[in-house]
Amino acid sequence: MVKLPLIARLGLASFLSLVFTACRPPAAASSSTVPARRPVVCTTSYPLFYFAQRLAGDRATVRFPAPANEDPAFWRPSRDIVRQYQRADLILLNGADFEKWVNTTSLPLAPQVDTAAGFKQDWLMFPEVITHSHGPHGAHSHGAIDFNTWLDPLLALRQADAVADALRRLLPGAGAELEQRRQQLRRDLLALDQELRGLSTRLASQPLLASHPVYGYLAHRYGWNLASVHWEPDEPVTDAQWVAFDALRARHSGTLMLWEEQPLPAVGAGLRARHVLPVVFWTCGNRPVHGDYLQAMEQNLDTLRAALASAAAANPAFRGGPEGTEKTGK
Amino acid sequence: MRQVVFLAWQSLRFHRLQSAILIFGLAVTLYLPLAVNGLVARYQASLLQRAGATPLVAGGLGSRFDLVLHALYFRGHVPRLLKMADVQALRDTGYAEPIPLYVRFTARHAPLVGTTLDYFAFRQLPLARGEPLLQLGDCVLGAEVAATLNLGPGDRLLTDPENVFDLAGSYPVSLRVMGVLAPGHTPDDRAVFVDLKTTWLIEGLAHGHSDVTGTNTDANVVLDRTATNVTANAALVEFTEVTAENLASFHFHGDPGDFPVSAILPIPRDEKSATLLRGRYQVPDATVQILVPRGVVEELLGLVFRIKRFFDANAALVGTATAAFLLLVVLLSLRLRRPELETLFRLGCARGLTTRLVAVELTGLALVSAVVALTAAQITWALVSLW
Amino acid sequence: MMIEVEKLVFRYPHSTFTLRVPELSVAEGEKVALAGPSGSGKTTLLHLLAGILLPDEGRIVVGGVQPPRLGDGARRAFRIGQLGLVFQDFQLLEYLDVFENILLPYRIHPALTLTAAVRERARQLARETGIDHRLSHRPGRLSQGEKQRTALCRALLPQPLCLLADEPTGSLDPAAKTRVLEILFEQCTRARATLLMVTHDTGLLGRFDRAIHLAEVSR
Repeated sequence: MVKLPLIARLGLASFLSLVFTACRPPAAASSSTVPARRPVVCTTSYPLFYFAQRLAGDRATVRFPAPANEDPAFWRPSRDIVRQYQRADLILLNGADFEKWVNTTSLPLAPQVDTAAGFKQDWLMFPEVITHSHGPHGAHSHGAIDFNTWLDPLLALRQADAVADALRRLLPGAGAELEQRRQQLRRDLLALDQELRGLSTRLASQPLLASHPVYGYLAHRYGWNLASVHWEPDEPVTDAQWVAFDALRARHSGTLMLWEEQPLPAVGAGLRARHVLPVVFWTCGNRPVHGDYLQAMEQNLDTLRAALASAAAANPAFRGGPEGTEKTGK
Repeated sequence: MRQVVFLAWQSLRFHRLQSAILIFGLAVTLYLPLAVNGLVARYQASLLQRAGATPLVAGGLGSRFDLVLHALYFRGHVPRLLKMADVQALRDTGYAEPIPLYVRFTARHAPLVGTTLDYFAFRQLPLARGEPLLQLGDCVLGAEVAATLNLGPGDRLLTDPENVFDLAGSYPVSLRVMGVLAPGHTPDDRAVFVDLKTTWLIEGLAHGHSDVTGTNTDANVVLDRTATNVTANAALVEFTEVTAENLASFHFHGDPGDFPVSAILPIPRDEKSATLLRGRYQVPDATVQILVPRGVVEELLGLVFRIKRFFDANAALVGTATAAFLLLVVLLSLRLRRPELETLFRLGCARGLTTRLVAVELTGLALVSAVVALTAAQITWALVSLW
Repeated sequence: MMIEVEKLVFRYPHSTFTLRVPELSVAEGEKVALAGPSGSGKTTLLHLLAGILLPDEGRIVVGGVQPPRLGDGARRAFRIGQLGLVFQDFQLLEYLDVFENILLPYRIHPALTLTAAVRERARQLARETGIDHRLSHRPGRLSQGEKQRTALCRALLPQPLCLLADEPTGSLDPAAKTRVLEILFEQCTRARATLLMVTHDTGLLGRFDRAIHLAEVSR
C-alpha cells in the first residue's frame, strides 16, 4: 500500500471534507415558515368571551368553558377545565368577586387580567346579604359585591378596554387591527348606553320591581327606582313571600317586575293578579340561546319597551316620559 | 526511557510500604486544599448560579442579605413582610411580572413555599411524577423532600404547627400531594410548594366550615344572630383538610390586598424595564426594596471568603511544611540508595540515568498521589453534593 | 595485549596515598591474579582500568582503547559493553529478581539492546552457573554464593573482552569460594575473556596463569 506524504494526506482530507459538506442535504425549513400557535384566551364570563372574540377576531382562540346550563358566578370548573385555564395565554376575569372558584384554584398570575379592577370605586354591593363573623372581635365577612358589571354599558366598555389592552400585549403585531375593532365595539356599547338612557326617561321615576337584586348597575347608572326580592324563576313563591311582596308593594308600587328568566306560570299568574307584569330582562351571564351579548341586550330593551307600552295601556296610573330625553343618571 | 520506567516501577513496587507512605503524605497534602477549594468553588458556583438565574428580588426594607437568602434559598426570615397590594402595584408598573412568595411555614421541617404557578415556569421545574397544583390544599414536593419522606402523588402531608403550645395559633393543615418535581440540584429540591392561597389558609386568613347563615345551622355554634350578620363561636369546627366536598366552603376573610407576602420575584420584560423598575423604587419613602440577587450574593461571598483567605494561608503553610518534610524524606532516601546508584555508575550506566531513575520514581509517586488526591476530592465533592 | 599500563600515577584528593604503576600488562585470554597487601591500591587499579577513576599521569590501554582519553559517555559505553565487573559485595539491586539483575546492563545503557536472544543467553548463563532455579527470586533470598554467581552472570552477559573481578570470593565460604572460582574460570575460558582478579587469598594464586604483586609493581 502506498503511503502518501503527510502534506498530501492533509490535502486529501481537506478536499474530501469540502466534498461531503457540499453534499449535505438541504437544511430543514426554518421555524419562520411554520405558523406560530394561536394564543389561547380563556374567559370566566360570557360578556368577556364576546368582547374578546370581537376584538381578537381570528388572531386568538377564545374559550369560555362554562357549560351553557350553569350560572358562571356559581360554577365550579372540573379538573380538566382548570388545566385549560392554567395553560391559557390570557385569563380574562370579570372581577368584582364574580368567579369565586378562582379563590380556591391555582392559576398562574401573569396571564390573569381582572377587567373590573380599574373601576373598583364604582362597585356596588348586593343589598340585604347575611354575613357571618367569628367571635365578638374575630374575622368577619363583608357584604357580597354585585358582580353584574357588564349590564352597565359604560362599565362594560371599561372592561372591553381592559380586554383590548391585554390583547394588545398578547398580540403585539395586531395593534392597528385591534384598535379598529375596539373603536367599533366602543361605538356599539355607547349606542347601547344611549338607548338605555332614552328608555330610562320613559321609566322616569316609576317604581320597578326585580326578582333578584342583579340589576343594581342599571338602576345606579340610569336612575331606576328599583326594589328587589330574592325569588327564583324555577321555584314557586310561598305564601310568606307573597305577603312580604305585598308589603313591599305597599311602599313601592311597581307594575313591572324584571326577571332573569320566565317565572313559573303560577307565579306569573299571581303577579298579574296583583297588576304586576313579569318582564324577562336576561342578565347575559352565560351564552344566550340566540344571538350575542349586544343582540341579547337589544332584545332586553325591546322587551322592556313593549312592557312599558303594555303597562301604559293597561294601567292609566302608569306614567312615563317620552323616550329619547336625556335622563339624569350616573 | 522504557527501561528507566521499568526500573523505577520495580523499585517502587519493592519498597511498597515506603512508597505508600510517600503517596499518602503527598496525596493528603494535595487533597486538602483541592477538596476544600473544589467544595468552595462548587458551592460558590451553585449560589451564584441560583442568584444569576433570578433577575430581581423585591421585599420589605431591611437586610438585603436576609431578603435574598430568604427569596432564593428559602432560609431565614425577611426583615419585613409585604402585602399583595405591593405585588399588584409592582405589576401595575408594567415593567415586570411579579411572582409572589410566602415562606413562613414548614411541613415535616421542609420549608413550605407559597407561590403561584408562574414560579414553576420561571424556574423551569419539570414534574417527575404526578400533576401540578390544582386547588387550595394541594402541594408539590421537591425531589429530596419526596425521597426523604417517601411521599408521592396521592399521599397526604401535614404542615408543622408554628408553636405547639399556642393552641389558638395556626393549626396544621393536611395537604394533598399532587406531584413530585424532578431533581434540579437547587434549593427547590428541598422545599414543599403550595399555592400562595394555601399559606394564607394555614395562617388562618382563610378557612372552611359549614354554613352558619342558613336556617338549619346548629344553634350551639351561633353566638349571636341579627338580621344582617351571624356571629359564630369557637365551637364551630373548621376543616383541616380540603376535599372535593368541602372546597366550596373555604373562603377568605379580609381584604386580599392586605394578605401577606414575604418576597417577590419581579420578572422584568427586558433590561430596560428592570432598570426602570429599580429606579421607580429608589425613592426616599419607598417601602419596598428591589435588589439584583447576583450582586448581593457576590457581596456576601466576598465577606465569607475574606475569612477563607486565612484558611488558604494556613493551608499554604501546612503544605509548605509537609513539602519540606517530604523533601527531607526523599533526600534521606537518596542517601540510603547511594550504594545502588554507585553500582549503576560502576557498571557503566548511561549518563544521567540515575538522575532519570530518581526523577521517574518521584514523578510516578507524584502522579499516583495526584490521582489519589483528585479521586478522593471527586468522591468528597460527590458525597457532599448528595448530602 | 589486552591490558597495558605505563607510568601510571594516581592520587586520591585529600589523601596521601599515591598509586604508581610503572608498567603492567595482561595478554589476551590470560587469567591473572592481582595480589598485594591491603591498601596497596588493587581496587583503585581496577577502577582505573575500568575508567571509573582517571589517572593523574600515565597511559592505560584496555582492549586497544585508552579509557582515560574517552569522554565520560564513551567511557561508560566502553565499560558496560567491553568490560565485566564483579565486586566483592556482589552489588546486586535488591528490588530486581535474579533474572533482571543479570539483564541489568541491558537496561541501563542504550549501547546494549535487550532482545529475546539476550534473554535466552541470560537463561543459559544461569543454567551453566547453577542458579536457573532462582531466576524469580530476589537477592534477599539467595545464599552468598548464589549472589556472586548472579553477579558473575551479569558481568558475562554482554560478552566482555575483559573481566575485572575485585575479590569475588572474599565474602564466600570455602565451598562456595571453590564453586564460584571454578565457574569464573570456566566462563572466562568459554567466553575467551581476559580475567584480572584481585585476591587476598594466596592459596588461589596457583590457579591463575600468573600473579601480579602490586606492592612489587607499584614503587
